[in-house]
Amino acid sequence: MLGIKIPKYKSISLKKDFIEYKSPDKVYIPLVNGYDTDVTILVKKGEYVYKGDMIGKTKGLFRVPIISSVSGVVSDFQEMSYAFGDTVKCVVIENDKNDNYKEDKEIKKNISDYTKEEFIEILKDSGIVGMGGSSFPTYVKYECDKKIKTLIINAVECEPYITADHTIVKNKCQEILETIDAILEINNIDEAIIAIKNTNTELKKYLDDFIGTYLNIKVCLVPDLYPMGWERNLVKYIKKKQYENIPIECNIIVNNVSTIYAMYEALKYKKPLTERIVTITGDLLKDPINVCVPIGTPVKEIIDVVGGYKDSNKILLVAGGPMMGKTVSENLVVSANLACVLALSELKNDELINCLRCGKCVEVCPSKLSPVLIKDNVGNKERLKELLPNRCISCGLCSYICPSKILVREYVNKAKENIKN
Amino acid sequence: MEIIRKTGPYIKDDNNTTKIMFNLLISLFPIILFTFYKNGIIPFYEGKTNVIEMFYPLIFIITGALTSFVTETIYFKLFLKIDNNQLLSTVKRSYAIFPGLFLSLVLPINTPITILILGSFIATLVGKLLFGGFGNNIFNPALIGALFITSAYSIIIANNGGYLNKLELDTISGATPLANTSLVEGIGTYQELVSPYGTLKDFFIGFIPGSVGETSAFLCLVAFIYLTYTKVIKWRIPTVYISTVFLMTYIIGAYNDLGIWYPLFQILSGGLFFGAVFMATDPVTSPTTPIGQVIYGMFLGILTVIFRYMTSYPEGVLTSILTMNMFVFIIDRICSKARFNFSKSKYLFIACWSLIIIVSMFIATSFNKDSTETDPNFNIISKDVSNNKISYVVTQKGYVGNIKASVTVDDGKIIDFKVIEQNESFYSKIESDDYINTLIKGQDNLESIDTLSGVTVTSSALKRLLINTIKDYKNGSKENIINEDTNNSRNNFEIIKMEDNNDEKIYYASNLGFRGKIILKITVLDKTITKIEIDSSNEDYMEQMIDSGFFDNLVNNQNNIDSVDAVSGATVSSNAVKELLKKFIKEYEEYKNE
Ligand code: SF4
Ligand code: SF4
Repeated sequence: MLGIKIPKYKSISLKKDFIEYKSPDKVYIPLVNGYDTDVTILVKKGEYVYKGDMIGKTKGLFRVPIISSVSGVVSDFQEMSYAFGDTVKCVVIENDKNDNYKEDKEIKKNISDYTKEEFIEILKDSGIVGMGGSSFPTYVKYECDKKIKTLIINAVECEPYITADHTIVKNKCQEILETIDAILEINNIDEAIIAIKNTNTELKKYLDDFIGTYLNIKVCLVPDLYPMGWERNLVKYIKKKQYENIPIECNIIVNNVSTIYAMYEALKYKKPLTERIVTITGDLLKDPINVCVPIGTPVKEIIDVVGGYKDSNKILLVAGGPMMGKTVSENLVVSANLACVLALSELKNDELINCLRCGKCVEVCPSKLSPVLIKDNVGNKERLKELLPNRCISCGLCSYICPSKILVREYVNKAKENIKN
Repeated sequence: MEIIRKTGPYIKDDNNTTKIMFNLLISLFPIILFTFYKNGIIPFYEGKTNVIEMFYPLIFIITGALTSFVTETIYFKLFLKIDNNQLLSTVKRSYAIFPGLFLSLVLPINTPITILILGSFIATLVGKLLFGGFGNNIFNPALIGALFITSAYSIIIANNGGYLNKLELDTISGATPLANTSLVEGIGTYQELVSPYGTLKDFFIGFIPGSVGETSAFLCLVAFIYLTYTKVIKWRIPTVYISTVFLMTYIIGAYNDLGIWYPLFQILSGGLFFGAVFMATDPVTSPTTPIGQVIYGMFLGILTVIFRYMTSYPEGVLTSILTMNMFVFIIDRICSKARFNFSKSKYLFIACWSLIIIVSMFIATSFNKDSTETDPNFNIISKDVSNNKISYVVTQKGYVGNIKASVTVDDGKIIDFKVIEQNESFYSKIESDDYINTLIKGQDNLESIDTLSGVTVTSSALKRLLINTIKDYKNGSKENIINEDTNNSRNNFEIIKMEDNNDEKIYYASNLGFRGKIILKITVLDKTITKIEIDSSNEDYMEQMIDSGFFDNLVNNQNNIDSVDAVSGATVSSNAVKELLKKFIKEYEEYKNE
């Protein structure tokens, strides 16, 4: 079971071409990577920073640099909302709108002209992380001894509403193909497979136009299901393989397509990851659209720039897609893993009823869990050990499908906690 | 404008529980109409019922549903103290009508409405509310109600006509098709099993006797497709359930040289489709894991087959479901683990498959084709052998109790066949069709003689009676026997008439002796026997018995008959007389007390 069909709502944000909004007055760079908020701060209040400067570094297992997305003076430290729903400490930088880099950037003619060591160094320094949501540092995937046979580029974007990856493929198709080709050559990888949905004829057309000369790159059409973009599903569907923990066990690496474009900027211009495309959409927005913005831009400002909300009493402001995203307060800022901001009206028909035991949550769970049984046994540690709630990927399908409108995923999350202590 | 926070996901499937229940109702609608047509309109048109009785099926179903609804409303009001303004929505969210609705559909049409109301009340209260209400019950509530009714009131319902509607009561003797399977000898033939009710097409469409709502396999199939399409039911359960029963009965049939009609007959009878589609898939009481649903279906199939062949309760479907309800918890537990591990689930399936094959083969081989075993429904009461001629008195189980007949076989030929006693419902049909003669004429190939439609069970019992007698003539011992047939001894004894002669009362009582009936004339004065005379008998040594003073002894020792010695040389006859007298005294005692 790879997933199920769910509504897409994608076209509303694709009506217009993407726009750039490069000059917010202030940016708020979140001092976090993924869930890791343990960061060494490298700047002081009042200090001038160049665009691309390292202003902090995570202390955890993986050292990920936190990079300034504009040039200007550090004016403050402030708590702001972050893509995962909580607030985190941010470095506030007054943008001087000059986009000053510390040194002039030379342009690399042939981006495959790097050794593997140089390549990994660039990824590390540029702070490139998984832009699909995970924020997993990309260099770690390449820095392994195992032979990489296949690179899968994830352009499935299976969450409804989001079209950020779609936009980047559509607008940067050549650059992306060039980067993939370079990665194959540098890392001595046999083949690359770009996964897109079989319903996405538009992207297929763009890719077909440019892919001709790249013999090692193929496009694979995957079923229009959710969560088809989950690594495990992609590997299972495309390569018919199953792994225990990470895809490299089967000599496979999976990268998000936006991450690939960030790598292009890094390899070509030595530009670190300072901006990304965010889909601003939802039924309560006047003008849903994709916007390219610097990391740290306040979302409120972007929403104003693109035309603001429709009239409504209540708004659900969601960071991320409707399935895995979370509601946030209005002071949300853009981070590398924020692909989408939704302004949605409240759900109708959301009345909670006793569990029917219909088994639909079990049927849809892509991790083969039995959410209803986890719910029943949420306090029973012994039983939970058999039910493996830790395998839950928080895809939200169980809550989505439940006819009794029970928030089943929350029980599974609770079980994850209970099993820990 | 206010930014609100909520837990995701922020889009939800537009299916909901109310829709599910609504779709369930829609799918039941044609079934309800069909039963109205079959059990209401047709009998009315045939002139068997009046207008009010025509609506009985509908009234029946509505009453069942309403009782559940009212029970639940009262319960919520009185025990859970729910406010009036919330009461309706609470009851609505608890889907209150279903236990009674389903109950009314699985009961025989002749269930008195008061019993239905009681059952529906029990179903809702015991089956659902006492477990904690909607979503918490372990057993299917409707089946709890059905179990209650069948265990407490099945006799009342049977006397009321059981499963047969007013029209069927006149045209079909015998019970539902599956009840019939347990009456025929061995595994049965197409003529015995299917023909009495029409063709397999009638089975499929549903014009066969059965419960109110469960006869039409066709409409259940339509409902199944609709409910699967609208994602209401766990489709795996009915699919696997019916397939398992098909497969097993196919094996059983094929082993006994029966065609494909046999498994079809089996799956189309006994409300299997209705049970599988509506009762086994009740979400609350069935497994939630997909593998669990498959295993559940398999076990339901196995159990149903076991119940049908190995117990005296041939329908089996509802009992199987109730039984399996108990194991849902454990099935889910095992299968939630098996999901993670493909090879583990593989072994689970291999185990189930083996069980299916073993049980089928066990049952298949238990029908011995050239059976030298005796038919349990056949009994030889007496046997009088002289050279090649044997006179039998035998019984064979009919539709109502035993049919008793005398059969004389000479040189392997039936030369005489008389039914002595029977209580069959439509015996006049046997007589008017001269079925007895048909049997005697066709004695060389009894198996091929058709049973009489309308009196299938009776006619086939008569046929079996002869077949069994001939079998005994060929294979049985050649010795005289008198079976002291305890079951029937009371029936053999009879007070034929009573005469008043001043203060004396004269009774004529009969009992079975060595050579048929002995009739005694017993004179009673002032509650004491004063005289015992023989009115008629075929016994051999009656003179000797009278001469030896046996009867006077009996009169003298009437309070202790057992102390009187039998007449030597006429032991069997003397014992028969003693037996008669004892029964008479017992009967007389009872009579006195009244
Ligand atoms: S249990 Fe976790 S993985 Fe399974 S459906 Fe629910 S959210 Fe998705
Ligand atoms: S989907 Fe909802 S109602 Fe169905 S079993 Fe799961 S939790 Fe219960």
